[in-house]
Amino acid sequence: MTGHFPLPYNTLVVAGGMAAVGCAAGVVGCLGVLRRRSLAADAASHATLVGVALALAATGRRELPVLLAGGLLTAIGSLVVLVMLRRFTRTREDAATAIVLGVSFGLGITLLSGMTARGIPGSAGLEQFLLGQTAALTAADAMLLGCLSVAAVTLVWVGLKEVVLVAFDAPFAAASGWPVFAIDTALVALLAVMVVVGLPAAGAVLVTALLVIPPSAARQWTDRVATMLVLSGAFGLTAALVGVAISAAVPRLATGPVMVLAAAAIFAASFFLAPKRGLWARWRQQRELQQEWSGAGREQTQAPAKATGEGGPWTP
Amino acid sequence: MDTLNLLGGSAGMHLWAIATAAVVAAGCAVVGTLLVVRRMSLLGDAISHAVLPGIVVAVLLGGRPGGLWVLVGAVVAALLTVWLTQVLHEGVGMSEDAGAGVVFTTLFALGVVLITLAASRIDLDPSCVLYGILELVPFDTLLLGGVEVPRAFLTAGLVFLCLLGGVTLLWKELLASAFDPAAAAAAGLPVAGLTTGLLAATALATVAGFEAVGAILVVAMLVVPAAAAELLVHRLHLVMGVAIALGVLGGIVGYLAAWQFNTSAAGMIAVVLGIEYALAVLLAPGHGILARAWAAAGLAWRVACEDRLAVQWRAEEGGERAADATTVLTRLVCLWLRGSGRIAADGRLLPLGQTEAMLIVRSHRLWEAWLGRHAELPLDHLHPPAEWIEHHLGSEVRRRIAADVGQPAGDPHGRTIPPED
Repeated sequence: MTGHFPLPYNTLVVAGGMAAVGCAAGVVGCLGVLRRRSLAADAASHATLVGVALALAATGRRELPVLLAGGLLTAIGSLVVLVMLRRFTRTREDAATAIVLGVSFGLGITLLSGMTARGIPGSAGLEQFLLGQTAALTAADAMLLGCLSVAAVTLVWVGLKEVVLVAFDAPFAAASGWPVFAIDTALVALLAVMVVVGLPAAGAVLVTALLVIPPSAARQWTDRVATMLVLSGAFGLTAALVGVAISAAVPRLATGPVMVLAAAAIFAASFFLAPKRGLWARWRQQRELQQEWSGAGREQTQAPAKATGEGGPWTP
Repeated sequence: MDTLNLLGGSAGMHLWAIATAAVVAAGCAVVGTLLVVRRMSLLGDAISHAVLPGIVVAVLLGGRPGGLWVLVGAVVAALLTVWLTQVLHEGVGMSEDAGAGVVFTTLFALGVVLITLAASRIDLDPSCVLYGILELVPFDTLLLGGVEVPRAFLTAGLVFLCLLGGVTLLWKELLASAFDPAAAAAAGLPVAGLTTGLLAATALATVAGFEAVGAILVVAMLVVPAAAAELLVHRLHLVMGVAIALGVLGGIVGYLAAWQFNTSAAGMIAVVLGIEYALAVLLAPGHGILARAWAAAGLAWRVACEDRLAVQWRAEEGGERAADATTVLTRLVCLWLRGSGRIAADGRLLPLGQTEAMLIVRSHRLWEAWLGRHAELPLDHLHPPAEWIEHHLGSEVRRRIAADVGQPAGDPHGRTIPPED
């Protein structure tokens, strides 16, 4: 599978669709990271497996839209269970998240392997949803995923002001009369949709990474939400394309892990090189400050205050 | 995945697999209890994913799966995860969950890619990394005193004993740092060292369970039994004991159910643990959903009975007939009051009912008198709070209220306050 040009139509469409998915995951993921809902999305992504298996068992049709619709239902169901556990039990949030994640994944595995053992038609290759395999996608599937991604980005653009308000200061938003609960629910539902859209590319186990790593990388470069969204979308798009290309070139290599590693490389570069927040910039800043102090012969030799919180050095 | 049938009817093989599942679950429960109590469950999640590259690199360098070097590799990977998360959190101010999300997904992806690229050189399959191969555990054995013992069982058993020993030795320190790390540190306990030890222990438990149930289902074994135990009992040693019992039970029942339904044993164990947790949520004494519903229903019933007695008493006081019971609840209440000898067949109060009704009405009117004097509420605002609190005042409180408002004969509405007896 080395460069035979022109590339087949199917490969091109799949690459385009996955680029859209990566971009949308980066954009939507920003909101999840800012509102700290990333780990809830992780629990939901592990629960999609149950829905995928049940959808196949119920309809007998192995078509991507059917399977993903099932996945979306159980993803949302898992989030509802998570909210109920927090509301009605004394189990703390971290444990509740881990319980939903572990048990729903176990149920998914149980269903999948039970169906395979019974020889239910179409159940044999469903493991592609564990780690992602874009080579298995048809052009129609990729177009559907691409369209959903565009819709998700449009939704973010429409509701951006509200979500940013809630993400940064929920009590203030509530006091100003904004329906915080509804906005929060819409945000989490959008994350669940994005988890499902990303499922064929990155798989249930790693799809959260597409929602977490590009936004975290983008955060290093800017303090403005709009810039962060654009950068994160671009990072996600790049990672997705690299993932599709490399996994197509290397036999048996799943797409998800490669996408995640590409995103992680972008993150590492951002972590070291970003202006102001990057490690290199911080180190230089610190040295300049030290020289300034020692040059002026000040008695103060205290190191500059460490950066705290999300908002950079000067945010309280 | 038809692996359970591979074992055929050989009961010994199945027993070894069940024993391995049980020991793995017990080790995970010991560590999981400490993780859950210290609110570090998600670190357990992160570590269970992140040990993968450590294991793969150790195997690539010549370690045996389940051997010492693999354990070392896993511990190194776990500590690396925690250190990197810490760097992201403190160094560039990322939130802890996003930082952990970046680190563990990256390390896990690295592990999967390494496995795929080196597939010809190592005997690990990406799918068995995800959900283990408990069914194949009995085939990889060591000869120990003339008995063929599965290697995975030995590793898991050794890890369990080490963890149990460590926890017993450090019990006092762990207990102190579990509930109030700041106070424990101030008292001179090496809290940071204990935390590092706990993280290494998590890595050990994870890697012991890795072969049997895979990286992700280990999360269920770590967190679910401990969270369920925490709902059932309240002292740390009991929580740990119950968590171990629930984990072992889940391992055994899950394996048997998987055998019965011909499906993945690891997945089924997670499902059974989930059912145990759900039962704990429902049935836990005191805070369980059923216990709370029962207590709420009991209170509602008592209030309804007392209200009906008071209605009857007030009617008789004014020489009228009390309104008939209309709702289902009040009819049931009347039946019960009649059956228990509090009211007669025609609805009049019998002596027992009379005494109880008088106390309710006395509480009500005393409270109105108290509110009238101290809260300066208008007359028509006195009734609703009194209607609520009349069910919750005891004789001693009534005596003090009466003394406080000067033993009045009547309430602010001008009605007589009945005597205490």
